[in-house]
Amino acid sequence: MIEARGLGARAGSFRLHDITFTVPGGAYGVVIGPAGSGKTTLLETVAGITPQTAGTLRLGGRDMQMVPPEQRGLGLVYQHGYLFPHLSVEQNIAYGASDAAAVREVATRLGAWDLRDRAVESLSGGERQLVALARALAPRPAILLLDEPFSALDPRRRESTRRELRRIHREWGTTVLQVTHDFTEAGLLGDVAILLDRGRVLQSGRPDEVFRKPASPYVAEFLGAENVFAGTARLIDANPSPADGAVESMHQAVEFRTGPLTIYAVANAVESPGYAVIRAEEVLLSLEPQLASSARNHFSGRITEISTLGALTRVSLDVDGTMLVAALTTRSAHELELAIGMEVYASFKAMAVHLC
Amino acid sequence: MRVASVLAALLGSLLFLFLVAPIAQLVVTSGVEGGMRLGTDAELRRALGLTATTATAATLLGVLGGTPIAFLVERWRFRGRAVVAAFLDLPLLIPHPVAGIALLLVLGRESAVGGAALDLGLRIVGSPAGIIFAMLFVSAPLYISGAREAFARVDPRYEAVARTLGDHRWRVFRRVTLPLSGRGLVAAAVVMWARAVSEFGAIVIITYNPKTVSVLSYDRFTSFGLREALPVAAILTVLALLPLTALRALRYERRPDLGAGAPA
Repeated sequence: MIEARGLGARAGSFRLHDITFTVPGGAYGVVIGPAGSGKTTLLETVAGITPQTAGTLRLGGRDMQMVPPEQRGLGLVYQHGYLFPHLSVEQNIAYGASDAAAVREVATRLGAWDLRDRAVESLSGGERQLVALARALAPRPAILLLDEPFSALDPRRRESTRRELRRIHREWGTTVLQVTHDFTEAGLLGDVAILLDRGRVLQSGRPDEVFRKPASPYVAEFLGAENVFAGTARLIDANPSPADGAVESMHQAVEFRTGPLTIYAVANAVESPGYAVIRAEEVLLSLEPQLASSARNHFSGRITEISTLGALTRVSLDVDGTMLVAALTTRSAHELELAIGMEVYASFKAMAVHLC
Repeated sequence: MRVASVLAALLGSLLFLFLVAPIAQLVVTSGVEGGMRLGTDAELRRALGLTATTATAATLLGVLGGTPIAFLVERWRFRGRAVVAAFLDLPLLIPHPVAGIALLLVLGRESAVGGAALDLGLRIVGSPAGIIFAMLFVSAPLYISGAREAFARVDPRYEAVARTLGDHRWRVFRRVTLPLSGRGLVAAAVVMWARAVSEFGAIVIITYNPKTVSVLSYDRFTSFGLREALPVAAILTVLALLPLTALRALRYERRPDLGAGAPA
């Protein structure tokens, strides 16, 4: 378990402030944040490389204030690997391990064993990351700290390495804390997501929750939610129709006004929220008008932009002067024969609107 | 632009010639004679042996004491670090005879340290020990600054990784820092040795006799004139140049990229 309470640290002129989060034992924690948010400093503080200046850090229930890095029972993998250039690849992998068979096993599983006879300088960035990962895992640490460990791998290798690491993590019960700026990766891997910005935790919790219910519009934008609207909310009497999703009794229908638009939402308490967040994937497009209700929002708009990135296409609509972004599969976009300037209908569930 | 380039090239070439020509002239005209003198001139042979051994002893002391200082100043962010670093450079900045006088104050017969050493039967002033101290004083700062540079080139993240792999501080130093900075440390030691061999100002104050090669060349010049001083000066120059040439060979060999683990 990794447990930080009000943790503070200083690295040069950079400071971590009041960091609080918990990654339960055997869970996979993911730290997400923009460049310069303190992600690497956070890992180094957990590792004991950067001294903590405030708060408490407990690893496996034990306070780490006075424990040097070598006694924390953890492995650390930097983005650039930091393989020792004066040692061979095999010596690198075996550096911290006492059991040669274990070294070989973990290196083989990660595909790093085949590289053992190569010179460190001859390895590609991705190969370095594999070797660094094997080196950190070889001593079987209880906690594994990873700083963008897959960034230099090609997509296929990334996928297989991620899968293997996930398997090792489950088999060994290793607690993992991984830094990434890739939201998909966070969603794929994480049991706990920790959002970091300018040395502070913005939000932490289950990744799907953090994604669907960002604590602030800043978090929403930061997590790539395209539709963030400022406005005012008020409770309405009509309950959303039960057919349109499992609405718990505590939930109440809310009307959110932003400019000329009225968006229906569902919230369990309205604490004067000022923003409505709708993820682009929740917005459906159709060519025919559909029935609007307080359970389902429905707007017509004109397409202003279509951008296709692989299997996903983003469509921007002008809805009475407000921009609404929908994300659909490229195939659906083709089937609908979407074009700029076209009039289409956009709809999304009231349940898909997150107020904050 | 073109005029500026030509002017810069001209000035650069002139300075280069000014720096190299006297040394080349000295070695070319008197080097052979100096080499032949080694066969006949026992005093020169003795001076040569004395210079080499005292410079080696001073360098050893410099490496033993200077390596931890350089590592601490480079790696530890303590208060007053800049002041300590500035003090370490002081001996490089003061005139060398002044350094000799200052050393005499601390190590002379009248001083506490010199007196205590004498009581133990160790004479510092007027002995090889005095030469070693004078050499150490003026050349150790060069080693420390070279060693700091060597440590600075080793990214601390290598050490961080080694610690998470179970090594305590000293083991990391031995297994990671030292191998990665070794070449730079050797280079710094060679520069220190060459500087120690060439020292005159501080040595002449603290130990005129027995004579090092530098003192001997001065002695020959004042007693017998330029003709007699030249071969000795040429020998001294060659002695100082030898390790520096070796150092260049070391520097231009292939060296690993220590900046980061990422490929270039």
